[in-house]
Amino acid sequence: MKRWYNIATMVVITVMVLGVAWAPRPAHAEEPSIIKIGVPTAMSGPAAAWGQAGKAAYETWVEVFNKAGGFRVGDKTYHFQVIHVDDKNSPEGGAAAAKQLIYGEKVKFLAGHWTWNFPAIAAVSNPAKVIFMTRTGNEAVPGGVYNPKKMPYVVFANPSHEQFTSDCLAITKAFPKYKKIGILDCTLGKGIGWDYVDAALDKEGVRYHHEWFPVGTQDFAPYITRFAEAGCDIVYVAGWIGEAMAFAKQRWEMGYKDMRVGHSGPFITPLAYLGVCGKEAAQGFIGQYWACWDFKVTKVKRTYVKMCKEVMEILSEKQGKPFVYTGWIGWLPSHLLILSQAMEKAGTVDDPDAIMEAIRGGTFETTTGTWTMSGAETYGSPIVFGCPSALSTIKGDKEVYLSEYPMKPLP
Amino acid sequence: MPPAGIWIDGLIQSCIYMTMAFGMVLVFSILGILNWTHGQFYMLGAFVVYYAFTAVGIPFPVAMLIAGVVVGGLGMLVEKLIIERVNIPSAQGALYVTVATMALIFFFEGAASMLFGMQEKGLAMVFPGVLDLGSLSVSYQKIAVIIFTLIIMTAMYIMLNRTKVGLAIRAAAQEPDAARLYGISVKRTSLLVMGIGCALAAMAGSIMAPVYAINPFIGRIPMIMSLLAIIIGGLGSLTGAIVGGIILGFVNSVVAYRLSYFSEVVLFAFVIVLLLVRPQGLFGTPLK
Repeated sequence: MKRWYNIATMVVITVMVLGVAWAPRPAHAEEPSIIKIGVPTAMSGPAAAWGQAGKAAYETWVEVFNKAGGFRVGDKTYHFQVIHVDDKNSPEGGAAAAKQLIYGEKVKFLAGHWTWNFPAIAAVSNPAKVIFMTRTGNEAVPGGVYNPKKMPYVVFANPSHEQFTSDCLAITKAFPKYKKIGILDCTLGKGIGWDYVDAALDKEGVRYHHEWFPVGTQDFAPYITRFAEAGCDIVYVAGWIGEAMAFAKQRWEMGYKDMRVGHSGPFITPLAYLGVCGKEAAQGFIGQYWACWDFKVTKVKRTYVKMCKEVMEILSEKQGKPFVYTGWIGWLPSHLLILSQAMEKAGTVDDPDAIMEAIRGGTFETTTGTWTMSGAETYGSPIVFGCPSALSTIKGDKEVYLSEYPMKPLP
Repeated sequence: MPPAGIWIDGLIQSCIYMTMAFGMVLVFSILGILNWTHGQFYMLGAFVVYYAFTAVGIPFPVAMLIAGVVVGGLGMLVEKLIIERVNIPSAQGALYVTVATMALIFFFEGAASMLFGMQEKGLAMVFPGVLDLGSLSVSYQKIAVIIFTLIIMTAMYIMLNRTKVGLAIRAAAQEPDAARLYGISVKRTSLLVMGIGCALAAMAGSIMAPVYAINPFIGRIPMIMSLLAIIIGGLGSLTGAIVGGIILGFVNSVVAYRLSYFSEVVLFAFVIVLLLVRPQGLFGTPLK
């Protein structure tokens, strides 16, 4: 009896174990794979205001993007993760940041880059076959250090240099009776890049006058006087925020109240300009505008507009006051949308050559509108994205839309 | 002939370079060192007056005095804790002080960046408005700079020539050993002079805070310019610091108007020629 009992017990246990082993497993939700994106940006030094202003917005946008489902390649879902590293806006800092991101953090993509160290970073990223999404400008212009054969993994996701020309055209559109546009930049920026812009402005028939100031200048009285004597009624500053603010303030105090001032960068917050320039002197200050919900000429996909607005709301709630900086919209989010769409087209997230093949000459829909990569003749490779070249102006204590001159594709 | 606005601008530049250079020469005369952190005390003065005025609501002139006291005190700490210890009586002493004060440049800039942030700050609301003089406008802030400089220079003259403290400072600068024999604590006097020198830089930064934007890097150019001013005027000469500051301010403004960014080249070339022809500067006498 006992023997039959033991056999029955063993059979039951065996059946139970086999049943558990062969039972169908419950379906797990698919875990998205993470694509790490390195962001070398200025977090220290005179340019850090722009770097720091964008960081929280980028991270929040990536959260919103991932929450909305990320993107799919094949049957896998992917999410982005951004890693910021201070590149100190210098060649040494840029090279160090690139190495840290590529070899330390093992990123395969660098994006959101806007500082002045393109050659240093490209020298590290290209041999490592890391796709580097940056901007044109300084040395990264035709005739400069960019070489499509030596730098096959570079994408000019922001055509900053070409945008400057379009900005000037947007200014002439806003003020058709203008006399002359004064262009002011630091001697650090002097180079072939400006020859390129000058040629473009000449071609478009824009009347302009250049001035340069030494690094660290705070007193702009001589330059204000020179612009006034040259007949400039609008001065567009290509330097840093502080310099543009100082120029605007000093020109007001010197009596040149009709001289409009702007800078080729977005407003961090209009209140800072009121604080430095003075309320009256800051009125009419012109800046680059990336609030895609306000564009009048360039169309941006509703989904992206909604995502950007959601980011603004989240950040406003987090900081307990309205988050008004919109400059971030035109940079990393646009870069990541180009990247994700290229990966979808290429059918891979791992093959940089296939992804670059999808980027070259491709059309992408981003937070700055829909643009086709151009520049096959100008840059030797069609890897230059477009931009709306929208401008805003300070009115009261707010930033309001001024004008827009969408960039034309490059030959 | 440059327009009147350029000459007024030159006058403002002169006021600041003169004040900064005066402070540097005071320190050099007693301690025998060039304080490379002088520009950063200018910067800290601007930040102290900014927060004292905007966050605490202290009236601007009082906030300036507070900036002078606070940053002057910081300067004395730097002298006591760092400079005094590295300034050993040998050839290496001067090198160690140079390295230490240069390192402090980056320390103070980094600390200011972390504490106060990178975003430009301004005090445009202090002395707002301009004085219209027909074809010329001068902001009240710039007029304040001129008045401030007159007050400070007068105060310095009175202190150095009419007070016991001033007498002690001049004695310690001329003959430290003899001064000790007369019961003057040269060490204490040195500490006080460091405080005064740094306070002057801080107050220069404070009075300029409404004129320019404030950020952690605004001290670099005033430092270089005040160094040029004392070279032009003569290392160790207070009169030279004043004259050097005046010359530099006007030359900088007029040359920039005429030659744009070549002004830097011209200025430094002028200083090099001066060093070759008259290395002691225009005055080149010790503190009197």
